[in-house]
Amino acid sequence: MRRLISACLCTGRKYELYSMDWDLKEELRDCLVAAAPYGGPIALLRNPWRKEKAASVRPVLEIYSASGLPLASLLWKSGPVVSLGWSAEEELLCVQEDGGVLVYGLHGDFRRHFSMGNEVLQNRVLDARIFHTEFGSGVAILTGAHRFTLSANVSDLKLRRMPEVPGLQGAPSCWTALCQDRVAHILLAVGPDLYLLDQSACSAVTPSGLAPGVSSFLQMAVSFTYRHLALFTDTGYIWMGTASLKEKLCEFNCNIRAPPKQMVWCSRPRSKERAVVVAWERRLMVVGDAPESIQFVLDEDSYLVPELDGVRIFSRSTHEFLHEVPVASEEIFKIASMAPGALLLEAQKEYEKESQKADEYLREIQELGQLTQAVQQCIEAAGHEHRPDMQKSLLRAASFGKCFLDRFPPDSFVRMCQDLRVLNAIRDYHIGIPLTYSQYKQLTIQVLLDRYSKPQDSGRRAVCGQASQPLLDSCGHCSSPVSLGSGRPELQAGVRLPSLSHLTLVPFTPSPARLVLRRLYPLAIQICEYLRLPEVQGVSRILAHWACYKVQQKDVSDEDVARAINQKLGDTPGVSYSDIAARAYGCGRTELAIKLLEYEPRSGEQVPLLLKMKRSKLALSKAIESGDTDLVFTVLLHLKNELNRGDFFMTLRNQPMALSLYRQFCKHQELETLKDLYNQDDNHQELGSFHIRASYAAEERIEGRVAALQTAADAFYKAKNEFAAKATEDQMRLLRLQRRLEDELGGRFLDLSLHDTVTTLILGGHNKRAEQLARDFRIPDKRLWWLKLTALADLEDWEELEKFSKSKKSPIGYLPFVEICMKQHNKYEAKKYASRVGPEQKVKALLLVGDVAQAADVAIEHRNEAELSLVLSHCTGATDGATADKIQRARAQAQKK
Amino acid sequence: MAFPHRLDAPELPDFSMLKRLARDQLIYLLEQQHEVDKLYKVENKPAVSSSEQLCFLVRPRIKNMRYVASLVNADKLAGRTRKYKVIFSPQKFHACEMVLEEEGVYGDVSCDEWAFSLLPLDVDLLSMELPEFFRDYFLEGDQRWINTVAQALHLLSTLYGPFPNCYGIGRCAKMSYELWRTLEEEEDGETKGRRPEIGHIFLLDRDVDFVTALCSQVVYEGLVDDTFRIKCGSVDFGPEVTSSDRSLKVLLNAEDKVFNEIRNEHFSNVFGFLSQKARNLQAQYDRRRGMDIKQMKNFVSQELKGLKQEHRLLSVHIGACESIMKKKTKQDFQELIKTEHALLEGFNIRESTSYIEEHIDRQVSPIESLRLMCLLSITENGLIPKDYRSLKTQYLQSYGPEHLLTFSNLRRAGLLTEQAPGDTLTAVESKVSKLVTDKAAGKITDAFSSLAKRSNFRAISKKLNLIPRVDGEYDLKVPRDMAYVFSGAYVPLSCRVIEQVLERRSWQGLDEVLRLLNCSVTKEDKASSESLRLILVVFLGGCTFSEISALRFLGREKGYRFIFLTTAVTNSARLMEAMSEVKA
Repeated sequence: MRRLISACLCTGRKYELYSMDWDLKEELRDCLVAAAPYGGPIALLRNPWRKEKAASVRPVLEIYSASGLPLASLLWKSGPVVSLGWSAEEELLCVQEDGGVLVYGLHGDFRRHFSMGNEVLQNRVLDARIFHTEFGSGVAILTGAHRFTLSANVSDLKLRRMPEVPGLQGAPSCWTALCQDRVAHILLAVGPDLYLLDQSACSAVTPSGLAPGVSSFLQMAVSFTYRHLALFTDTGYIWMGTASLKEKLCEFNCNIRAPPKQMVWCSRPRSKERAVVVAWERRLMVVGDAPESIQFVLDEDSYLVPELDGVRIFSRSTHEFLHEVPVASEEIFKIASMAPGALLLEAQKEYEKESQKADEYLREIQELGQLTQAVQQCIEAAGHEHRPDMQKSLLRAASFGKCFLDRFPPDSFVRMCQDLRVLNAIRDYHIGIPLTYSQYKQLTIQVLLDRYSKPQDSGRRAVCGQASQPLLDSCGHCSSPVSLGSGRPELQAGVRLPSLSHLTLVPFTPSPARLVLRRLYPLAIQICEYLRLPEVQGVSRILAHWACYKVQQKDVSDEDVARAINQKLGDTPGVSYSDIAARAYGCGRTELAIKLLEYEPRSGEQVPLLLKMKRSKLALSKAIESGDTDLVFTVLLHLKNELNRGDFFMTLRNQPMALSLYRQFCKHQELETLKDLYNQDDNHQELGSFHIRASYAAEERIEGRVAALQTAADAFYKAKNEFAAKATEDQMRLLRLQRRLEDELGGRFLDLSLHDTVTTLILGGHNKRAEQLARDFRIPDKRLWWLKLTALADLEDWEELEKFSKSKKSPIGYLPFVEICMKQHNKYEAKKYASRVGPEQKVKALLLVGDVAQAADVAIEHRNEAELSLVLSHCTGATDGATADKIQRARAQAQKK
Repeated sequence: MAFPHRLDAPELPDFSMLKRLARDQLIYLLEQQHEVDKLYKVENKPAVSSSEQLCFLVRPRIKNMRYVASLVNADKLAGRTRKYKVIFSPQKFHACEMVLEEEGVYGDVSCDEWAFSLLPLDVDLLSMELPEFFRDYFLEGDQRWINTVAQALHLLSTLYGPFPNCYGIGRCAKMSYELWRTLEEEEDGETKGRRPEIGHIFLLDRDVDFVTALCSQVVYEGLVDDTFRIKCGSVDFGPEVTSSDRSLKVLLNAEDKVFNEIRNEHFSNVFGFLSQKARNLQAQYDRRRGMDIKQMKNFVSQELKGLKQEHRLLSVHIGACESIMKKKTKQDFQELIKTEHALLEGFNIRESTSYIEEHIDRQVSPIESLRLMCLLSITENGLIPKDYRSLKTQYLQSYGPEHLLTFSNLRRAGLLTEQAPGDTLTAVESKVSKLVTDKAAGKITDAFSSLAKRSNFRAISKKLNLIPRVDGEYDLKVPRDMAYVFSGAYVPLSCRVIEQVLERRSWQGLDEVLRLLNCSVTKEDKASSESLRLILVVFLGGCTFSEISALRFLGREKGYRFIFLTTAVTNSARLMEAMSEVKA
């Protein structure tokens, strides 16, 4: 074959990425081909159009890396495929004739399946395109009825049927999906007319400045960023302009009328140059602003893959990259360039040769004051070089130039070295991700977008049971087993990074995620470590992915898998064992999942999965361990529905914390259940309390209340709580009695305490009844005296009080009589009792009735110091002056003794 | 009065951040999301509002949920459609959603959370305002709030740096500590490397020291709380205080200059101080007599406002004092205090018992009687069976049979128990242990010891020297130790433990006490920063103003600054009410 080596022209150059190793039997033209952008994998469907059932000629789906290494191969057993395409997450979408879309992983693992709707099913798919938007990847379908259906995001499938194109008889000659202002449109060409379909309308559009005489458009191409559009007409004329068709950028007449096989844009972001690559069977043409085109002869059937900053072209034997030469590279490598970078490169070369010319070149740059610029140019150009030796010589030049600069910030150089090291590692033939520097930088942002804006994330995370761990949103990528003859990717297998230089830190790169998709865990970890990414963002994520992959190895025993995972992961921060366990459970390995959960330090994390796996009892004890009552309650409700009542109660019985929680709930929500709980536990004490509460809270009628009390009393007896049982029985008696009192005497007695009942009787003048009640309920004398005393004083029935006081010797003394009379401001009555107060309290009594002088006498007589002080403190004003003196004298005397 | 802090005492951290956090979140919840224009108190009655949407800000309690559900259902019956929003504070519980679901309104109501757990009541006092914590945890064994406590600790440590030394007494303290550690570990990185501000943190379960909480308070702030009930740092002074026909809401915190000087004082000093203050004030007013116009102008524009403010505060506090004096200086109160002191010292138990009996017989106050019974039980390590029965009988006769449940509650919480004849409990324990596996046995033993917590107050009191030996009169004006908060009769147990640990810089030498307290100690980290004299004391189940005063005193003496975090400010009455069964 013809080999094009760095065909360096004024605006474009082409270099070989890989020589393909895939040993294809068929020509590419006999296959359906799809290649993912960003150096992604290539999918081929062989024999796609054969209808025979014979196994030998069945369609075969094959997936290769960009370097042609086989990743997967499987016999196609589903319906006829119309189109293949890769999603932004590197999932292969296979659009079938019936509108069904099968989604496969990078390794040929079946992911899911969705349908593009009934209309599509009925009319069959005529043509389909997979396109990428900022939300994800979309599918656009042209049906047999010449209608379009599209979904802008296959992970959040919303089908939109586009409006009809008026007067459309046959299939459009060409069409494409456009994405403008976050909305997907369809642009189609019918004869000389162009139509733009959006959600609601179909509008005819005309490209501005289109050359006349066009009777049909043969091909159209949208640029990678949807900014530009190219149209190829049947006159061999190419119109290039903005995607809105409102502005023409340039045009070209190639004079070839044959419809091109492919047409793609080849431009780099922010570049002024426009170029479109048009491919025919044996010819490749790059056209742009210039009046001349660049032409290549194609020896083989080739396929174009539009990239952000160029075009990948692969054929059976080779894989090349065509792109516009970046400014920095052009400046340096232009023949006889005098750009500072070029001079610096030259200077460094001379320096290595130990030639004095080095100094001359350097001086020349310095005189112009362009050394900083020169270094920057070399660094930038190094980034755009594919070959490590070129990168090295440019970086060496930059490093050389840096020596002569005082203050050149080192980070751009350091970062470039790091980036290149990473890029070279992933471009390696074995890895096969030919990312360019610009793509690499762009992908970062895209992946970030991906992670935060995709609406399906929340859903998927919920399945994984973990919201705080963005890690798992890409878990889906590494699922399900694959039959791939080659050895399993194990962590021990190491791919070494080509060494370049010393270096430090860099922002997060997306490559590991892509690497994880390819199960290149060791390389991913090495990159993370090399870039010193924080563990949680880097290594931990990779390890978790690896573990998720590991649990799918069905031929390894649960113990071994669990041990292997634990050995590797240990307690790496940010790794959630429960997530990995969830994956294991997803693969139907419940036992493994439980084993893995054992390693999960946060018991709260274990519970949801255990519940899902129907290990509710285990979940309950884990929940209790976590100390999170809410979690416990969640499990409880689960258990309640899962177990029969008896088993449920038995489970509760062994878990006091859960039991008390459930009791709390029942107390408010399910009183009957509460009773059953106590019954089950033979907790007669609580059962008694329960009925006591019922006796005044739930029951209204007196009979019901008494019955409740009776039940309570029985329970208390069973609980061997004689006291409570007796008290309850007393209450039953009291209730009945109160009822009778109400009937006989009127007034309210029910629900009064015993004390209050007696008081009420006395206040009502029913002394006899009161006495009787006191006797019946064995009210102690002291209480009765206090009670009567208070009640009679309240009634101000002084006569009765006096009678009462003389009925027998007071068990509470007579001081209370004095106090109570004074409280009612009856000094006269108080004095009566003061004389009867016993000697210890006499002083107090006398003071209460205000007889300070006599109190002093008594105190002096008692020779009691405390009493003397007390009396003294009551001496006020002139009236008690004499008394005070008297006390002072007595005190003095006492002290003498 | 109001001694200044030692010069080496640290500054208190600024809590305004907490307030701001909480406020902003609530405003966001209310305004941005729900456009609330007016707030109503949630009461158990139908809401009278014509508004198109109702928003409830509630504690996550089942009762509240039933109320919300009943409102929604009533609206449904009336054919009204409104939007309902429930904002749970501090967090949502699954059980609440369950209730909404069972009542069939889950679909009609949307829920939100307001993670507000720390209310700064004062410069050194944070309250979680969870009075229900006490009953929920210590009576019902419900651990739901422990998570909230852990969250609060986590918030504090993220705001004010890590705590190098942690001490804890009690099961709840242990659980909170562990849960908090887990939280920290899950989110580490943030606090790592931050310089700690708070050197020590103490976590204390209320049931470790019931005694202190059960005593009558005699420090001014405590007395105000006991008498008028301070709610969220403010108190409603009724007409008897304001000597007008209106009641007055007064904020009680360090902002109130007069209050700040008397809050920690023994009540006997307060009146003297206030009258001195009044005289000073008068003197300052009087100065204006000799003034010329210019001076007068100055006086009016600069000083008068401050003086007037002070005047107003002074009159409020004098009013409060008078009202307290009227209530508390009666003979009954003296007797009560005397009995309490006798109980604390363990003298004249018989007399005290009959005093309590009389108290019950005379129906003085159900809560007070209950409190005295509990105090007796705890100090005496349970009542002797005869007294236990007779006091209960008396109480039931006085206040009604529903208090059978109250007694059952008190017994479960270990507040009012019967002296166990012999080792029956251990016998049961060992019997049970034989029946079940080892691991479960540990749990059961735990459960048992919490069920029938044996108080060892007397022994602890001796070990920690809680009853100071008094030679002569205890000078309440110039207190010697923390005992002044109880008229020199008793050093609060909780505070003494903290003092001892700080003095020894560890638990060393306190093993015996810990054994007696019958509780676990949480881990203490290495004492890396001795110089940190800012100390956070966390009371799980509430703390009293007396304890706060005592520790403030300790801080002034030793050059510490204490910050208090409590689930709620409590006092004896609140504790007893939490345990009481009341007829609905």
